[in-house]
Amino acid sequence: MPSVVLGTDAFRSLAEATSAKHGLPHMPVALVPHPLGGIAAEVARAKADGILDEVLRGLTSDPQPPAATAAAGPTLVEAPEDLDAFQVWAMEQEWSDGLPVLPPTEARVAKILGRRAADELIATLMPLDGRATLHAIAVNAAMTGAGPEHLPVIVAALRAVARPEFNLNAIQCTTHPCTPLLIVNGPIATRLGIAGGPNALGNGHRANAVIGRAVRLVLENVGGARPGREDRATLGHPGKFTYCLAENEAQNPWEPLHVERGFKRDESTVTVCGSEPPHNVNDHGSSTAETMMAAIAGTAATTGSNNIYLAGDPLVILGPEHAATIAGSGWSKKDFKQRFWDLARVPLKKFSSENVERFKLTHPERFQDAGPETLLPFASNPEDVMVIVAGGPGKHSAIVPTFGATRSVTERIAD
Amino acid sequence: MKVWSPFSSGQMRVNRLAPRKASLAGLTIGVLDNSKPNAGVLLHRVAELLAARTGAAGVRGFSKPSAARPAEILDDIAKSAHVVLTGSAD
Repeated sequence: MPSVVLGTDAFRSLAEATSAKHGLPHMPVALVPHPLGGIAAEVARAKADGILDEVLRGLTSDPQPPAATAAAGPTLVEAPEDLDAFQVWAMEQEWSDGLPVLPPTEARVAKILGRRAADELIATLMPLDGRATLHAIAVNAAMTGAGPEHLPVIVAALRAVARPEFNLNAIQCTTHPCTPLLIVNGPIATRLGIAGGPNALGNGHRANAVIGRAVRLVLENVGGARPGREDRATLGHPGKFTYCLAENEAQNPWEPLHVERGFKRDESTVTVCGSEPPHNVNDHGSSTAETMMAAIAGTAATTGSNNIYLAGDPLVILGPEHAATIAGSGWSKKDFKQRFWDLARVPLKKFSSENVERFKLTHPERFQDAGPETLLPFASNPEDVMVIVAGGPGKHSAIVPTFGATRSVTERIAD
Repeated sequence: MKVWSPFSSGQMRVNRLAPRKASLAGLTIGVLDNSKPNAGVLLHRVAELLAARTGAAGVRGFSKPSAARPAEILDDIAKSAHVVLTGSAD
């Protein structure tokens, strides 16, 4: 049926990209001046007059369809030989995340691919339905300085983000600051030197750096989430350069994440979560599981979190010393999840009345009968809270909220 | 030097859009609110003004609970409206 899309001018590129992806690049789009959110309803209403002619034209006059374009296979291009000139050129081509990239020459890409079938399609990636073939993945990996040994982890992570429950299109295009966090489990972490100990989410680890960054470059160059255009992040976060760690299985008092999810301990997996940056939990004083919950649950229970109103499966990263204290009180991982879920709550009265009205509109089943004292949990149920152990010595843990309308996915690494 | 391009786009299809209406007179204008703040306010206002100007029969509202998920009610909308206004963005 004849339709017109209404939006705001700040989001023109996303409206156009979304229409094109659905094979409708000629879809009529009518744009009012940004914003619509956070303004009085009368102000939003008044914006209607300015687009009336355009909307009527969109419903009553057939637009001309543009010509279709063929899929682009692997393409060799001529680039500057000089490395500094190459950087400038690569940025102009929009190939990079802003950090220097290495030239993806035929020899370097061939070395990463080895005997693998270059044209194997690993995933189709939103928002632009880009074709993540092994070849395209290897080209992007080569730009980060990854080696052939890193490719299986990168490939498994890309299979995982393409699964429907991950909701990649929304993760790639939202204004919320989220990006796939990669959690690696199993023997491959040690073999490749993927850090899960001191500074695991920080700098200093080649494998963490190149694996996370290669996934990001594929999402940008193949998926088509270009910052400020299809990727509409208001602020973004530093993990969008690279966001990868291993679980510290040696210091985990419970079963590691992949075993909890039905894999064998000697299998290797990567789990992807649509994650915010880590929010630190400092607790140097507590010596029991119960007393430590004040800091851990208190860090999670905040009014600005997507998980408080959209649920999803947010992550708790316990530092090994905090994990040892909690397990030392006799708690299983399940006990921890239950207690965390009981305590990590925000009373509805802490939200502005405008937000409460909005929650009632968007999620009537949860908020219709809620009063000021109603406590909102950080996830729908205790099982949805993800818990891993990572980091080195010290009294810190982290809460990693997610986009909310996404579920984490664990994929076996074929190596 | 020769380097591989890191891009790998799929084929860009061009589908046919539904034929537009000659006029909106006597037709029902559907509104699909994506639940973003004030989206419904703007969409309904545009629909009301259009109906008044064109002699459309009326406006019928629909909503989807989250802008982050596809709508599951497209068939319902197609059955009960002749044209539809929808939205994206904040």
